[in-house]
Amino acid sequence: MKKPVNRKTTPNWTALEHFLREGIASTECGDPREELGCAADADDREVARELVRATATNDIEEIGTESLHPEAARHPSVRPPPEGAADPSFLGRLSATGTGDISVDQIDDVPTILAVLRAGSRKQRRAALKRLGERLRDRRGVPNDALRAATQTITELRDVEIGYELARLRTELPGAPGRKARSEHERWKRLAAEIKEAVRSFWDGLLDVEPIHVLPGDDRALLLMRTPELPAMVMHHINAIIEGNDGCVPRESRVGLLASFRNATDRRLVPTLVAVIESARGELLAEAARVLGGIDDPRAHPALVERFERSIVSEERVALAGALGMHGDCRGLPEVRSLLQEDQPASILHALEAMESLGSSENSELVVRFLDHSDIGIAVQAARTLTRISDGRVLDELGERYNTTSVPALRAAIEDALSAIAARMELRGEEVAEIDWSEVGNKPAPRQGSRDSLPTIVLGWRDYFMGRLWLLLGRINWAVARFESAARRRAGWVVPLIGIGMAFARGKQYALALPAFRRAIELDRPRIERNPILVRAMAKSFLHRAEQVEREGRDDIARGLVGEVLTLDLRRAPGTVRFELKRKHDVLGKEEHDDVHSAA
Amino acid sequence: MSTRLREAAIRHLRAHGAVSPEGLVRRLTMDVEVDTQIEMVTLSLRNGELQCVSSDGQNDGRHVIAALEFVAGFEQRDDSLLPGVETVTGRRSLEPPQQSELADALDELLIAVTRIGIDKARYAPSVDAALERVIEVAPEPTPPGLGRFIGRLRQEVLSGKPRRAARILEGAARLADALKVESRTEASEERIRAWLGPRPGSVPELELLYDRTMVEVAREWLAGTTRASVERRYLVDLTAGAIYREDRPSQATASLGPCPRQIHVGLAEVEPGPAPQRIRVLQYEVRPEVPAESWERLHQIARRSFAQLMETYRRAVQVYPTLAEPFALIAPYRIEHDDGFIALDSEGHRLALERTERRGSVLAFYDLLNEGIEPAWFAGRLTDVGSTLCISPFAFATRNHDYTRL
Repeated sequence: MKKPVNRKTTPNWTALEHFLREGIASTECGDPREELGCAADADDREVARELVRATATNDIEEIGTESLHPEAARHPSVRPPPEGAADPSFLGRLSATGTGDISVDQIDDVPTILAVLRAGSRKQRRAALKRLGERLRDRRGVPNDALRAATQTITELRDVEIGYELARLRTELPGAPGRKARSEHERWKRLAAEIKEAVRSFWDGLLDVEPIHVLPGDDRALLLMRTPELPAMVMHHINAIIEGNDGCVPRESRVGLLASFRNATDRRLVPTLVAVIESARGELLAEAARVLGGIDDPRAHPALVERFERSIVSEERVALAGALGMHGDCRGLPEVRSLLQEDQPASILHALEAMESLGSSENSELVVRFLDHSDIGIAVQAARTLTRISDGRVLDELGERYNTTSVPALRAAIEDALSAIAARMELRGEEVAEIDWSEVGNKPAPRQGSRDSLPTIVLGWRDYFMGRLWLLLGRINWAVARFESAARRRAGWVVPLIGIGMAFARGKQYALALPAFRRAIELDRPRIERNPILVRAMAKSFLHRAEQVEREGRDDIARGLVGEVLTLDLRRAPGTVRFELKRKHDVLGKEEHDDVHSAA
Repeated sequence: MSTRLREAAIRHLRAHGAVSPEGLVRRLTMDVEVDTQIEMVTLSLRNGELQCVSSDGQNDGRHVIAALEFVAGFEQRDDSLLPGVETVTGRRSLEPPQQSELADALDELLIAVTRIGIDKARYAPSVDAALERVIEVAPEPTPPGLGRFIGRLRQEVLSGKPRRAARILEGAARLADALKVESRTEASEERIRAWLGPRPGSVPELELLYDRTMVEVAREWLAGTTRASVERRYLVDLTAGAIYREDRPSQATASLGPCPRQIHVGLAEVEPGPAPQRIRVLQYEVRPEVPAESWERLHQIARRSFAQLMETYRRAVQVYPTLAEPFALIAPYRIEHDDGFIALDSEGHRLALERTERRGSVLAFYDLLNEGIEPAWFAGRLTDVGSTLCISPFAFATRNHDYTRL
């Protein structure tokens, strides 16, 4: 027989909440049966039911009884205190957003801004470029030499990560660089308008292929470089693809599209990226994290932290750690370090990439050893990571590698690293490292052509000019025959080979352009690498040919082509082409086969 | 209509769709021409039941029969029955003994959590075991309502909010009661349907919508039995002002398109149940850009009285303490954000921001307010903190129709 119910008129809600918190088995707050008015011998099932019923009913009834609960009234913008800067030097404390004690937008000295532009983090470089633009618009107190240096830097800087900001600033420059930038902007506007119409047609069911997916790589990179200027409708469309709500784009292409936004800053991408971070796995998540890391937005950090804390997949955690590093949160550093120490081939590339944002001078020794890696991609990435770490102690090691390597891409990356380290040392107030390029520039001498007799030279030029004439008349085959004849006459002469390559590249016959460019590279690589027009045509030919073979399903060949061209020094090629080549290389495969021949 | 034809169609759908290694076919839509008249026919297998509807609103018309014949491969048939009423008993249905098992499992979960207490429940093997048991005895795949209960309970246990957890558990206790009751009432049937889907043999009371224009204003991923197991889209009917949720389980499809988008709904089904009501969009057209007049209409239909909003919210959570997750479109009279955030209506009633959930979105919203942006309306999931009605912001738009998804 049950004992009589001892019901209180009004339960003590605090006590009930305590029972819920601590459990009905807890004896600290007495017996819940009494508080709930249950029989003294009521079983746990009855007590549990009554406890949640009473609490829930009361909780719901209370809604609206209080105008503003103290918890709800708390200021919503309270943020966790920022972690102390690991680097107490000027650059380490330099704020990109104007919130710290030293901010980029307070710097007036143009040489200092230029040094930040070479040695700073991505956010600092963006802020420095913005500041440089302001100084160029308001030239009061800026010496002429500094103005010239600033204009020259903006014209020549080939930093893909701040490509959009550079392109915008270049349109304000006077003279030829400004005209060129404005003309490129006009091209972008036309492309964006075409894409907008195509997107509309796609959703109307008039197009059965997704329009951005089928764009040539360099056009796509150009379109997406200026993401903040894209119309809202195109951005909504892009977000639908990334989220997988378009109904036709396969997962691999979604990964590829995400990789195109690696350097994007547009906040309109953030909700979609956060959704992918929350819901996706593997490569898709890793790419979304890398993009989100670069966007300065309050939604990014909480989403990255939440996913980092629950992810157990190494690929995801490395990407999330790197992205958190970009937001100044170095919680993933020990894990990335240990991956590099373990030397796991599958993780090295991405761990080195994450180290760009996480690493400090303490990690430079760990990174330096990857400069000797047999995989050129990893060696180049190690040089890039050292560029961002910018530790003066590795200058000697970098100089040594510069002299010993025969891979132009690695030499180019080391040059950038040496320049960034020198700039950082300047900003840290250390003795500026004067890099003796005559010492480190121990480059292999270009192959000398055999001395030809005067009649051979004359005949060679005759053939060459005839070829140019046929080209003008639109007779490509005849022109190529003449160029070939000129090349046969003078074995070491690179000019007719370049002519063949350029002729085929202009005619979009990329498969035919490649052999000519390869022969020209073999004869005189520096000539092509140093000429922006030639290097652009050559890089685009490799890129477009890779896209053609990829469409035929021959991914290995496409990967080989992209890998081949990436071993060259492409710094004079357009940023959009370099970016697209790198993106395609990453997307096509994690590991490049060892048997891909270097173009060098 | 022939039962054999229906059975054959179901068999073929299962054989060619359900076990396909490429994925699950849940719905087929096809254009069917009969006597020069073309209609779109949708066939879907839901909880083992075949549902057929054509764009002329019929579910047993000639177009539907032609579509079934196409799917079934022209098998012979000899009797007739209306589609939608025939039941196919499958493993996915919940038999009476299982119902009792599920009710017991829910009770065990309730006891496990209250015995150990919310503070320790997150580490308690007994709670994990009880949750596993609930999933084990539930129909497969786990019904969305039950899945959402598990997701919400885990979330509240993790955040250590005992009152909120009590509400979630109270909903489960009511379901257990409904499952155990001998003579079913309309209320108990409705509760079971909201949690576990329509019972085999029952005719779901679906509201059919035709020719509506809707705007999707927000979407989010929600936890179920696993994290991020359902993508929920919030659609606002521009005619009636109603807000619906379209749930897309991960690895499944729903209507296509970005957020925001405008969709012209040719045909949709709306399920009765917790707020916001669930919609299944069967025939639609998508526009990725929302016209200015639609934004203006959204502003017009946004709620302006917070007192009414609170009443609606309270009623919703009273009926479905676990499953109700009301969503609202709000046009505040004034926003104060200098010292905290308060939205006020014209009568001085207040609405606060839910700070803990979707923390990043709250910060972004607040930053934008500080930058001087004035929302004409904003949309978000309603909740309560202490006793104050709060909103977790998802999106807002200015008077110039500049929409921002948070």
